[in-house]
Amino acid sequence: MKAQLGVLALAIGIGGAAVGMWLLGLGLLRKDESLLRSGRRCVYLVLGAALLAVGAMEWALVSHDFSLRYVAENNARSTPLLFTVTGLWAALEGSILMWALILGGYLAFMAYRFRERVADPMVAWALIVALSVALFFFIFMAFAANPFELVSGVIPADGRGPNPLLQNHPLMAFHPPMLYLGYVGMTVPFSFAMAALITGRFSEGWLEDTRRATLTAWGFLTVGIILGAWWSYEVLGWGGYWAWDPVENASLLPWLTATAFIHSVLVQERRGMLRVWNLSLVIATFCLTILGTFLTRSGIINSVHSFTQSGIGPWLLGYLVIVAIVGIGLIAWRADELHSTGQIDSAVSGEAAFLANNLLFAGLAFVVLLGTVFPLVAEAVRGSRLTVGEPYFDRMTSPLGLALLFLMAVAPALPWQGTTGDVLGRRLLIPAYSGVAVMIATLIFLTRDLLTALAFGLAVFALLGIVREVSHAVSQRRRVDEVGRTRALVRTVRGNPRRYGGLVVHVGVVLIALALASAGAFGTKQEVRLKEGESVEVGGYQLKFIGTRTTTTAQKITVSADLDIHRDGRSLGTYAPSISTFPNSNMGIGTPSVRTGLLEDLYLTLISSPTERGRVTISVSVHAMTLWLWIGGLVMALGTAIALLPSLRRRTNRSDPSVYEGDAEPIVEVTG
Amino acid sequence: MTSPTPRAQPRARYIVAALVCIGAVIAVVILAFALSGNVVYFRTVSEATQARDDDGRFRIAGAVVPGSVKTTDEGVAFEVTDGQETLSVIHKGDTPQLFEDGAPVVCEGKWGRGDAFASDRIMIKHGEDYTPPKVNAGERGA
Repeated sequence: MKAQLGVLALAIGIGGAAVGMWLLGLGLLRKDESLLRSGRRCVYLVLGAALLAVGAMEWALVSHDFSLRYVAENNARSTPLLFTVTGLWAALEGSILMWALILGGYLAFMAYRFRERVADPMVAWALIVALSVALFFFIFMAFAANPFELVSGVIPADGRGPNPLLQNHPLMAFHPPMLYLGYVGMTVPFSFAMAALITGRFSEGWLEDTRRATLTAWGFLTVGIILGAWWSYEVLGWGGYWAWDPVENASLLPWLTATAFIHSVLVQERRGMLRVWNLSLVIATFCLTILGTFLTRSGIINSVHSFTQSGIGPWLLGYLVIVAIVGIGLIAWRADELHSTGQIDSAVSGEAAFLANNLLFAGLAFVVLLGTVFPLVAEAVRGSRLTVGEPYFDRMTSPLGLALLFLMAVAPALPWQGTTGDVLGRRLLIPAYSGVAVMIATLIFLTRDLLTALAFGLAVFALLGIVREVSHAVSQRRRVDEVGRTRALVRTVRGNPRRYGGLVVHVGVVLIALALASAGAFGTKQEVRLKEGESVEVGGYQLKFIGTRTTTTAQKITVSADLDIHRDGRSLGTYAPSISTFPNSNMGIGTPSVRTGLLEDLYLTLISSPTERGRVTISVSVHAMTLWLWIGGLVMALGTAIALLPSLRRRTNRSDPSVYEGDAEPIVEVTG
Repeated sequence: MTSPTPRAQPRARYIVAALVCIGAVIAVVILAFALSGNVVYFRTVSEATQARDDDGRFRIAGAVVPGSVKTTDEGVAFEVTDGQETLSVIHKGDTPQLFEDGAPVVCEGKWGRGDAFASDRIMIKHGEDYTPPKVNAGERGA
């Protein structure tokens, strides 16, 4: 029943997407608006089909219908409701289903948002492209990764249950959907970019149309990546949050190119430059999301995340190649028409800074891509299996990251088309000197590590630069409007949410940079063996081992070690790192216990279940500033939300390109 | 506001193109060096024992032979097996969570003195599948 319903839904999805494409295509050919309108409505059919399919799958999961292979493999009667529901994205087939649902949602958003403009060939073509993506994913589900496949033979009495790692923490409910909202959202700008190439309309209109969708997807992707790091930190228990694992890289790659795009798009809007580059970035971002799915889900790279292996690799790889060839082909075909209308006049201008930003992000993406796919290429060409060590990534990305931090400190102060040293000095000297002071202080008092000190200095430089920008604009607004500080702040932000939202995102990035630099330079790690009642001191914390406890539920058996923690004679409470064993796996899953603090985390893991009576091995580590990573992520999400607010800006100074984003500051700077 | 003179434009373009090319070449050279210096080969125990003359770093995948783990001053000594060959590993440093008899491990290091593999990093390999093949060396009489 549920399987039939699901298969029916997939068929509707395929039909809806195909008919929609056909109607839109025919409508374009005959210039028939009623055909276009019907074609547009097919988009809602696709969303409905995806909803129906997901509904059927969730119904099957919640009712433990083990006649479906997917349910039998990813659910058990003992699985708690939360992890039963999240079972939708516990393995390949369900994830693709969720992908289809989110894609349906974005498609419907496109169709609704541009409902008045369906006769516009640009919109019609964008819908055709987006529907073709949906068509691929529905066909992919129907023929290669069918979530509604029935079990062969006898229907099992109980299912296997989700992979233990996927049913050990509630974060599992949020991390994959966020990531997918980000991944799939990149389909919208991709569709418009392809439509621009097909129709040959390269004016900046399509950017305006897709900017908010891109930014939304980018925000989700950011949150998804941070949540993934958090999940890794809270669940995997190795004490870190980023290991340059191919699957982590797969989520970072489209983020890097999308970040480059949301910066360079400003240059194109303002000056009509970088058209080919922006189209390439959008197409590359979409390709990288497909590559990410390919790497994650085809099991091609053995890693913690590759939970499934099936014959889907050729499908995704084939699709990736087709998209890349079509994209590159279209750009090549239109190359002559993609001339820039403007050009860079000065090396210290907004557009030069954005260009440098893009080169750095592209460089980062290339470095990460090379390190990620090199093992695949080496295995394919030479047959030898190898991995690219973390030092490669660390060494190659940290200078690029520091350069970006520097650029982030300087660039927001640079007006379009260049400036004078005088203006720059007034804007940047105090933040720059403060940064240098912090760097020297770090070297004297905290660490000899030059890169860390540099990161601290640049972070302070960037932070003070942002504070100066905002406070300057606010006091401007106060003087002009004669209002209080809070109201002036609100008016400033509402007047140009994109700029100030962007600056808030930058604050989040600064916090993350501080956290990453601290993690590299500070902290201790020690392994201790304790008998019951014994105490030990690590990194200023006194740990006393009280004893072990065993809790048994239908889902899992958990052994935890209770440790009383004191610091400077003050009790910090009891912490209990644990190891759980699940009936469907013969390997235990450790769960760390973390005492989160503003400046440092105490991170405890139980190394192995106590074998000798009452004696345990505990790994104790102190991580500096980890909390700021998550706070930074939150601030980035907040900034993205601000940037998405509708602008209340008076559009009078838009025509004057020397004024950066309606910022009245330069005029005052020169006169005052 | 003024656009540069038409004559200056091509020359500036050549300079930019040349700079980009030089930059790209430097970047590729740096990347190639960084990559070649950090590539770690991945071998099963059998493959490793056949390539004893390799003095570079590599990773060995296998399972910990039950009962072989001994604590040393600097870490642990144990044996790994892939079901066919067995190899001694002398490890300096901490062991990861769930390092125990039969655990599927990946050790990183190089050949040490004698026949042992000198490891300085052990990772537990979480199986992609739900029941990783448990190698029981005891049954082989090893």
